[in-house]
Amino acid sequence: MINKILAIAKQNAKEGLYYRFDLLLYIFNFIIEITVYVFIWLAIYNKGNQILGMTFEQVTTYYILVVSLNPIISWGINETMGNAIREGEILRELLNPISYFNYYFGIRIGELIESIIVGIITFIICALLFGVLLPSSLLNFIFFIIVISLSVVVVYFFELIIGTSAFYTNSIWGVEVFKRAILSIFSGMIAPISLFPEFLQKIANTLPFKDCIYTPISIYFGELNNIEIIQVILKQFIWILILYIIAKILFNKAVKSVTVNGG
Amino acid sequence: MAIIEVKNLVKKYKISEKENGILGYIKHLFHPKYKEQIAVNNISFNIEKGELVGYIGENGAGKSTTIKMLTGLLTPTSGQVVVNGIVPNEKRILNNKQIGAVFGQKTQLWWDLPVIESFKLIKKMYEIPDEDYKNNLKKFTKILDLKDLLDKQVKNLSLGQKMRCEIAATFLHNPKVVYLDEPTIGLDILVKENIRKFIKDINKEQHTTVILTTHDLKDIEEVCDRIILIDKGTIIYDGEKEVFKNKYGKHIIAEFIIQNKNSNITVETIEEEFEIIEENETSIKIKFNHERLTIIDIVKSISKYCEILDMHIQEEGLEEILKEIYRGELIND
Repeated sequence: MINKILAIAKQNAKEGLYYRFDLLLYIFNFIIEITVYVFIWLAIYNKGNQILGMTFEQVTTYYILVVSLNPIISWGINETMGNAIREGEILRELLNPISYFNYYFGIRIGELIESIIVGIITFIICALLFGVLLPSSLLNFIFFIIVISLSVVVVYFFELIIGTSAFYTNSIWGVEVFKRAILSIFSGMIAPISLFPEFLQKIANTLPFKDCIYTPISIYFGELNNIEIIQVILKQFIWILILYIIAKILFNKAVKSVTVNGG
Repeated sequence: MAIIEVKNLVKKYKISEKENGILGYIKHLFHPKYKEQIAVNNISFNIEKGELVGYIGENGAGKSTTIKMLTGLLTPTSGQVVVNGIVPNEKRILNNKQIGAVFGQKTQLWWDLPVIESFKLIKKMYEIPDEDYKNNLKKFTKILDLKDLLDKQVKNLSLGQKMRCEIAATFLHNPKVVYLDEPTIGLDILVKENIRKFIKDINKEQHTTVILTTHDLKDIEEVCDRIILIDKGTIIYDGEKEVFKNKYGKHIIAEFIIQNKNSNITVETIEEEFEIIEENETSIKIKFNHERLTIIDIVKSISKYCEILDMHIQEEGLEEILKEIYRGELIND
């Protein structure tokens, strides 16, 4: 099964890399985004050396990591899946000799390969431009990678749920905006979660999205001890299970109830 | 044992009924009203291994609905489908491994990649043994003339080239049953012939069961041995193609080349089985029922009006027969 998923991933990555110019544009776009963040925070830091316990260097590193991780976490298959459902391509996909979830997981991994390339290049260029802090230790760096990998699985099932809504709505644009909003607020993409008011922090702590961006960056900085990290990983496994079950139920229900029209 | 067993199959669609205007729309939101429409109404048939079956009917007759139920993409409202011992909509993935399908213009090829990459992925997904893959690729490349296409990106292929590749992709894993839903739509004659030959060849070699729906009856004439004709959700004919033609094809079309016509042939003088399709100064085309009239009768009655120079006789094709059936002229004959 893993062989098949990897074969699909490779195929999808090949197709994605065919549009190299697109990827270059993304990188360019991300670098500009980071520059804007850096200058905003530079203006803020002019008045004092530390804000809420973070140095300017930390904040710069935070945003460089956020933007580099962004494609890995927030691209995803919901749009591809939504379009396939709307245009009836799903009929073909349901005839594959491999389950729909496995097939799309392959597609997701293929996309991941592209987004990792974009992320790493963005990170390296921005590190050279603005300077970054290195990970606090090798072990923390390994944990950083593990937590992000699990996050990809978490968001994959979330994307499946979003994509399934295409069965019921004509365009998944609205649902997708909702997904992006949720992700960017609760993952810490817009601002570090430690800056949030308390009630929002509580919500962010329960949802799995914090562990996609904010938590791995905290681990990168060495702000979590090993026990806390293990707790995070356990929480991720629980969310994977919950989202998998929800996605499975919704998708099966949708496939069953939606009668495909045609003579 | 039959490879496909269909028993009392029924499919009803629920169609939402909306009233016009915004008010009607809002009303529908709270009190949705549905109308039931029967797409397939209690059909049964068995198909043996290796049969080439043409599944025909008008648009909206229930063809695609049946195919979708056979492939497991639609759940039947009632009745039973068994394909090679598997109930498709219950064990879809297992069923997918043993079937192949072409749905009109929907493609399983990867748009931006060379064709051969899609074939390689199919090999992995279906776990096709190296030997089989190599043999099939070689054979298909030859019959479908794919040699120059395999390294081209799918998006750069013409419709006919794409369909040839699609057909090859569908048969690559030696499926036991193949469903072809309008495979020749929009293709030119040469490509159509190419595809027909391919289907016949593979059927002969692998005993692949093929179910073909099409509006091009030439496909059926050349490929299929058996016809299942569906109309308004029910099967109105199921049997051999030749028997079908003999049963319904009672008409002969005769074209006469004439000269010195003295007057138009009037309808009053001719019997009812005698129909003039076309008439002008130099030729006349006549359709008649060969059970009631002979060609001699026709020649006799026409020669009263003109001099006959030459004539061609043509049996009614599948197309004409179906036209009459669709118009309701032949039902329950």
